[in-house]
Amino acid sequence: LTWEVKANSRHYHKHKQRKSFLCFTWGRYSDNVVRSHKYSLLTFLPLTLFEQFQRAANIYFLLMVVLQCVPAISSIPWYITIIPLLVVLSVRGFKDLAGDLARRRCDSEINSRPCDVLFSQFMTAQWKDLCVGDVLRIRRDQIMPADLLLLSSSEPHSLCYVETADIDETNLKYRQALGATHNELTSHPSEEALGAFNVVLCEEPNNRLYTFRGQLQWQGECFLLENEHILLRGTVLRNTDFAYGLTIYTIVLSVLLAAVLLAIGAGVSSYQAMTKTSFLSALVIDGKPAYNGFLVYWSYIILLSPAMPIALYIRFELIHTIHSKFIGWDLEMYWQQTDKPAEARNTSLSEELGQVGYLLSDKTGTLTQNRLLLRQCCIAGEVYPMDLSWNPFSSGGLRMFSPTLVETLRGQRCPVTTQFLSALALCHTVMAEWKEQAASPDEETLVGAARELGWVFLSRTRDFVVVSELGATRQYQLLALLDFTSKRRRMSVLRDPQGGLKLYCKGADVVILERLQKNCPHKESNEIALELFAEACLRTLCVAVRSVPEALWEQWSRTLALSAAMATCERDTLLEKLYDEMERDLLLLGVTAIEDRLQEGVPETIALLQEAGIRVWVLTGDKKTAVNIGYSCKLLHPESRLLEWQELREILQSADPQVSFFKAKQTELWATHKEMARAKTSVVLTGPELQAEFEERPEWGASFMSLAEQCQSVLCCRVTPAQKAEIVELVRKHTASITMSIGDGANDVNMIKAHIGVGLAGREGGQAVHNADFAVSQFRFLQRLLLVHGRWSYRRISLFLCYFLFKTCGFALVHIWFGILNGFSAQDVSAESSLKLPELYKSGQKKELSSPRKLITYLLYAVYMSLVLFFIPCGVFYNTDYDYQTMAVTVSMAATFAVTIETKYWTKFNIAALCVSVVMFFICSRITHSTRLFQSSPADYFFLVSEKAFIDPMVWLTALLTAWAAVLPSVTSHAFSVILSVHNKHKIHNSSPPPVELRSRFARGSSLRRSSYAISQGAGPGRLINSTTSIQRAEVLKEEKVST
Amino acid sequence: MVKEEQEESPNRPDNTAFTQQRLPAWQPILSASIVIPMFVLIGAAFIGVGVALFIASRDIQLQELDYTGDDSAHPCYKCRSSTEKCTCSMTFSIPNLFKGPVFFYYGLTNYFQNQRKYGASKDDNQLYGDLDYFKDPSSSCDPYTRDSRNIPIVPCGALANSMFNDTFSLSHVVNGTQKIVPLNGKGIAWWTDYNVKFRNPSVTPLINAFNGTKKPTNWPKPIYELDTTDVYNNGFINQDFLVWMRRAALPDFRKLYRRITHDDYVNGLPAGNYTLTIEYNYPVYSFNGRKKVVLSNVSWMGGKNDFLGIAYIVVGSMCVVMSIVMLIVYAKFKFAEDD
Repeated sequence: LTWEVKANSRHYHKHKQRKSFLCFTWGRYSDNVVRSHKYSLLTFLPLTLFEQFQRAANIYFLLMVVLQCVPAISSIPWYITIIPLLVVLSVRGFKDLAGDLARRRCDSEINSRPCDVLFSQFMTAQWKDLCVGDVLRIRRDQIMPADLLLLSSSEPHSLCYVETADIDETNLKYRQALGATHNELTSHPSEEALGAFNVVLCEEPNNRLYTFRGQLQWQGECFLLENEHILLRGTVLRNTDFAYGLTIYTIVLSVLLAAVLLAIGAGVSSYQAMTKTSFLSALVIDGKPAYNGFLVYWSYIILLSPAMPIALYIRFELIHTIHSKFIGWDLEMYWQQTDKPAEARNTSLSEELGQVGYLLSDKTGTLTQNRLLLRQCCIAGEVYPMDLSWNPFSSGGLRMFSPTLVETLRGQRCPVTTQFLSALALCHTVMAEWKEQAASPDEETLVGAARELGWVFLSRTRDFVVVSELGATRQYQLLALLDFTSKRRRMSVLRDPQGGLKLYCKGADVVILERLQKNCPHKESNEIALELFAEACLRTLCVAVRSVPEALWEQWSRTLALSAAMATCERDTLLEKLYDEMERDLLLLGVTAIEDRLQEGVPETIALLQEAGIRVWVLTGDKKTAVNIGYSCKLLHPESRLLEWQELREILQSADPQVSFFKAKQTELWATHKEMARAKTSVVLTGPELQAEFEERPEWGASFMSLAEQCQSVLCCRVTPAQKAEIVELVRKHTASITMSIGDGANDVNMIKAHIGVGLAGREGGQAVHNADFAVSQFRFLQRLLLVHGRWSYRRISLFLCYFLFKTCGFALVHIWFGILNGFSAQDVSAESSLKLPELYKSGQKKELSSPRKLITYLLYAVYMSLVLFFIPCGVFYNTDYDYQTMAVTVSMAATFAVTIETKYWTKFNIAALCVSVVMFFICSRITHSTRLFQSSPADYFFLVSEKAFIDPMVWLTALLTAWAAVLPSVTSHAFSVILSVHNKHKIHNSSPPPVELRSRFARGSSLRRSSYAISQGAGPGRLINSTTSIQRAEVLKEEKVST
Repeated sequence: MVKEEQEESPNRPDNTAFTQQRLPAWQPILSASIVIPMFVLIGAAFIGVGVALFIASRDIQLQELDYTGDDSAHPCYKCRSSTEKCTCSMTFSIPNLFKGPVFFYYGLTNYFQNQRKYGASKDDNQLYGDLDYFKDPSSSCDPYTRDSRNIPIVPCGALANSMFNDTFSLSHVVNGTQKIVPLNGKGIAWWTDYNVKFRNPSVTPLINAFNGTKKPTNWPKPIYELDTTDVYNNGFINQDFLVWMRRAALPDFRKLYRRITHDDYVNGLPAGNYTLTIEYNYPVYSFNGRKKVVLSNVSWMGGKNDFLGIAYIVVGSMCVVMSIVMLIVYAKFKFAEDD
């Protein structure tokens, strides 16, 4: 505990303020200014150049420029290479600059947000002026400007609610101030009191969001601080008028983290770009050693390469840009409701979309809509559908319930139904008034549903719950609340008369069903309903009631009071036992079925992606409830075997993980379907387990990945944002595949940055989108993004690469043939032609989607073509008075024609592009051969040949013959393929791409019943609410005082 | 009923065939009934062109005279190793009328005028008449930039230095007397070379421009004395110089020397005996080259060139053969399917 914070003493912290100059920083306490920008006026140029020259391609071009400047070996003017390079560099630079400016604007907007700071009284200050030790007043719906220690709040017990959407999954969390500070500040609410806290000692800033250790030294005593006293930066205060907080960490944590991540992200992407481009340039360079046997002079390298790779580079950029435009233009990925088209924010990754091997997805807001709906319920053995699926826009207000149910209710005919709704309205831990806010979205949904049906939960005080039942307001006394835990998987409340003591209980079916009284009515029908609901992948809860005899209650409550006063560890088991005694002989009222609404088309998309060989992992901050979603979105197959951590651990520990894995798969029922085992195994993990193990044993990573590769899917629960990124890294480290992450919230940002990231432009804030490479509005658009655009991009680019290689080799070989005839003296016959050959026919080629042939075929063809391109003109011009410049023009003309004929797919644009390219060839030739240019620089434009050559019939005849001879094999093979396909009537020559078929291929088959227990995220806030039973009666306060 | 939204959002992507990548693609080759005739047609066209070329080429008359003189019986044998000025004559006969206009070429073999360093060894600025480069020629001319006394050479470089300097005269033996055939040296260079690329400095007299420079080491006389009779054929725009400076594409080449367009020879060279007198200066012995004189007339397609015609015929025949093979394959599949 080395981090010391003194309340309200700026001068104390001031001299330790973090300062920085260039890259040196000193001091401990930073200010609260967000600085996510990279460049300043001074550092922009060196930094951006440094970054850009990390790309191998740029270095290579620079080398070329340098070589060009050596007059002895240069064959073309130096600026031919340097101009494209400068253009490339400056375009990138401006792009970076624009991004940085946007970040600056964003930062300054954040930095100037207002907040109330206590000086001698509360004054409004900006976020950036905050300092460690400041006491703040946070109002309702304000965002925490820093990490705060909650001192007190306007609510009873200094409770307050924070929404953690930005750093965690969306839900409300409870925070409670220390009893000591609460008592002090509520009894003497004054500014002096707020400023009077002495010292907070706590651990150094770290990125563990869920744990916190510290102590408050105040009035000579020492209080332990825990995570629940801390309000994290970025969270939003909800349902609480105001809260006072002491600043303990300023931005240092978040920004350091962000900066590190940013650096990693940038490093990763630049590395990735580097490997990609170096792969490309390697293709071009690789040919060199082979040539080097022939080539004597360096100038060949210049001659063969400068126009080519940079042209390649520029064309790649061009293709990428157009592909990203295509993504944005795609109507199928346009989302009407939010009016957002898809967006490719990073243009250079489009072909990697076609190679994705792993898809790591967030759950909440990505797979699901983050909206729960009560879809069905079964009351007294009768199933009432509340199917709202016909209306995708349905939310809170507009519900359509089964009319029979409403009728039954209004007539008060069925006591079970009434009881059922009472149970829903009473048995929960939902807190506030009217606008309910609950820690558990499930509860919120149930209470909401009850409200819609007339059982309105109005308010809650310490001992009473006020409910309006069909207009009649009733007050129930709350005697006890048996809270939810993940072990118990149920919760109950006891309520006082009107009509005797009642215990309402709701919980997972397995738990409730075994506690029912004998001969419980409707049990059969409810079980059938449960089956039905489970098949439909709904989260089910059983609701039950028990009438408790007065005598039993008396005795039970006495024992409870006794045991609550006992020592901690025993107390828990005792309470457990007591609760168990009470929750017996239940009468089953009914079953609810909640749907965690998936986004449209999610199961189909996941199934389709899995069919496409993409492994889908779901990483979620939720608890194991996510498994349910896993089933409903077809991530987990109903029959698949879930491999949990314990088992996995044993497998990993064993000598040969693979063997054990197979053994594990073949246990029990799997012995029968050995061949299916592979596809039907899924791993379910939780973040803490994963982290704990992999920190200890990093060598497990590889074997874990090799196991995971054999599993259908992996589901990771309770992972923090940082762990999400770690998992992505783990996958990237141990597989060669390209990973793609998709998420919608700020908590997914780390993950999204790790490799290809897709941001869902959903309801949560825009951070995910800002950091993503691609932004789409719906999860299902992924299938188009990956399977259509990704595949096209990949194929086009690989085809383009083949084609380019073919062309490059063709030209290089022409040089070599010429080299044979001029004594290997590096003739510049087609340096001229490669300069002139228009960039455009490549863009015309982009529509080409024929099946990519083997590289070797292309190379052989290139050899043939180069032979033809050279030796036919050579034969024609041998022993004549034609000069070499005419021959150069002839060869380049022939090459242009050949490439034009070579095109196999013809569209309007394609033909236009080809025509333009041929016309451009002539125009460019005339321009570069113009006398004007020669007069301005005789040494550079000495090629005054086209005027004469273009009217020479021999040149034309030679060029035409050469071109036709060059493409003859390709045209012939194409013609043969046409002829051979004639008999195959099914083959339709329709090159418009076949639409991606979206079929749902899964039958709703037999499924094992899965119980769910998604009542609360944590161990439940019942303890806090239920102050009558635990806080008052038991005299043990949660805050243990530690005397100093 | 939900009303269709009339206003399209500006964010909504355009629904065009291009943006949605639904452009209908059209393949030029659609079926066998198009492919096979197309191949036949193209083949026929190529064969036609080839035959035309071949006939045109065959009609061209060509007279080649090798005067390298490596055979001791050859009249020029004596000049082969002579360092003095040496003249030799060859006689030849033309059986039929050699239709005019007749072009007089000199030819060299195994001469790598396309060698890169050799070809680059010139200074385009200097040849453009830029006096700055007279004083300081480009280093691309090395080692023919300056002489041993460091005086700049104009025109510099290996290309100019190695200019062909044999001269020829042709006489017609008429009734035992030699009648000189007039050779026309005008207009043998390219228009662009004569008018654009090469230019004399605008100094009169021309000789003044060359003060402080030296002639190329191999040259017997400086460039401003190439043709003292005609100002427009002197200096850098001398036609022979221009022809030499336009480098040949391949190691075996010929270059235009003169045209025969005057007097009695406008319609060509009549049948009879002729004497070719050669002033033998240019050494080719060292690189195993050969020298020759070529007399030729031209057709619409230029000089004699059998290769192009044959190549056209070959490629055309290949197309036809291919179409036949295709037809066979097509028929085979057709029958196979009918079965």
